[in-house]
Amino acid sequence: MTSARYDQLINDLKSEYRPQREWAEGRGAFLIYGHFLVGVAAGGWLLSRYFGSFDGMVLSYLLACLGGLAHLVNLARPERALNMMLRYKTSWVSRGFWGLTFFMIGGLLYFLSRSEFGAPLGEGSRISAAGDILAIIGSLTMMCYMGFVYTASKGIPFWNSTLHPVLYIAYAIRGGIAVLVLTLALRGQELGGESGLLELWIGVTAVVIVLWVLEIQGAVSSGDETAKRSINDLLAGRLAVYFYGGTLLIGLVVPLVLTTGTIAPLSASILAVIGLASIIGDFFMKYSSIKAGVYLPVRLPHLHR
Amino acid sequence: MKWGMVIDLKRCVGCYGCQLSCKAEHGTPRGVFFARVLKQEEGQYPTVSQTFLPVLCNHCEDPPCVDACPTGASFVWEDDGTVDIDHDLCVGCRTCMLACPYSNRYFNDNEQAYYGDQGQTPYEAARTSQHQEGVVMKCNFCRDRRQEGKEPACVANCPTVARHFGDLDDPTSNVSRLIKERAGFVLHPDKGTKPNVYYLPA
Repeated sequence: MTSARYDQLINDLKSEYRPQREWAEGRGAFLIYGHFLVGVAAGGWLLSRYFGSFDGMVLSYLLACLGGLAHLVNLARPERALNMMLRYKTSWVSRGFWGLTFFMIGGLLYFLSRSEFGAPLGEGSRISAAGDILAIIGSLTMMCYMGFVYTASKGIPFWNSTLHPVLYIAYAIRGGIAVLVLTLALRGQELGGESGLLELWIGVTAVVIVLWVLEIQGAVSSGDETAKRSINDLLAGRLAVYFYGGTLLIGLVVPLVLTTGTIAPLSASILAVIGLASIIGDFFMKYSSIKAGVYLPVRLPHLHR
Repeated sequence: MKWGMVIDLKRCVGCYGCQLSCKAEHGTPRGVFFARVLKQEEGQYPTVSQTFLPVLCNHCEDPPCVDACPTGASFVWEDDGTVDIDHDLCVGCRTCMLACPYSNRYFNDNEQAYYGDQGQTPYEAARTSQHQEGVVMKCNFCRDRRQEGKEPACVANCPTVARHFGDLDDPTSNVSRLIKERAGFVLHPDKGTKPNVYYLPA
């Protein structure tokens, strides 16, 4: 531990509200990248699979590979990563590891049975179907596990909320739609009204907004000073720039305004901007909410002071 | 059997003897504290009060750190109910640190030296070589000492006898008696972790 980090730890330990740095700084920052990439990849795979976009599935798979790598970099002992498969009965991190493994294997089997890759396993084979199902199970697990990892963190009251998993699932779906919109736009395809993709994105975005309001309201009205501190950091403190600028402005306002078509008609390039802005907003949502985590202070119950 | 500790806040004078004796016993690296003393000040002059709150792993009966650990590195010893870490299994994901509502787990990062650029002194190197880097560490109620029939270092070295150690399953043990007679309480009972470290009111 370098001197600066040691001094920071001592200062943190002295402070009333100690910010969590374990999953935010140094190699811990890679967990933010990992959760962002894996969330977008899971949603992207499911949506692309549903809307039949092979390019979207390839992009999602690549994002999941990067997300998996980021998860490994976050570990201090990555050579022992396989140990993480041992405690799936109780640990959401372990379940997430299984989900990512299912997805990687299933996705690979699926690709190897597609004609675009020469179909070495044969199109429509049982292995192909098994890979398809495995990848879907994996992506569903990946979408769900992240929020539950935070909810299980009893040391961080802001995360220890039942809404967190729902928020993460909604963001994964929204990220998935954005990946699909971006893929189609980069291919130069315009979205026909019949696809309903933009309407779906607006609908999920509305859900995300409601969930954010409930999450903030829940933390503020919970009576938990630590959760309130996290909200304060998010809305008026050290993370306000990222929350307002990244999560709200880039992630919500810009794409919402563009979807109305009032600034410019919904061309392929505008759709690409919508998709990209939505994805960047997803990153800042995870960045700001993870960094807003503050440890529950240890103090005597009031009666015993 | 269920090992537990009782800390008498009326007796604690905030000398940090427990923290130092723990450091000396385990040779914990820089930035790792199995035992700490928190100093809390309240009120405004002239009605000011100061309380010392010694903290360590609570060895909870329902430990969220054990549930959160993806590898099984964090576990509960079945014979005595203490929570421990198998450092050979730990991947250093730090999930357990965030799951602990008492912040009593520490990450043993690389490059640990008390004198910065000078590197480790021979004493530091000798003491910290027993610990793996890149893993999470915490108090285990001095398992090695207990196996030799001794009390944990923080208990044995407390000059004011503020710490008591014993079997919480035995209703006649000193710890059970103190908890009952002096209304022992635990930290963050609302978290439902059932800690095995109790405090006696100041």
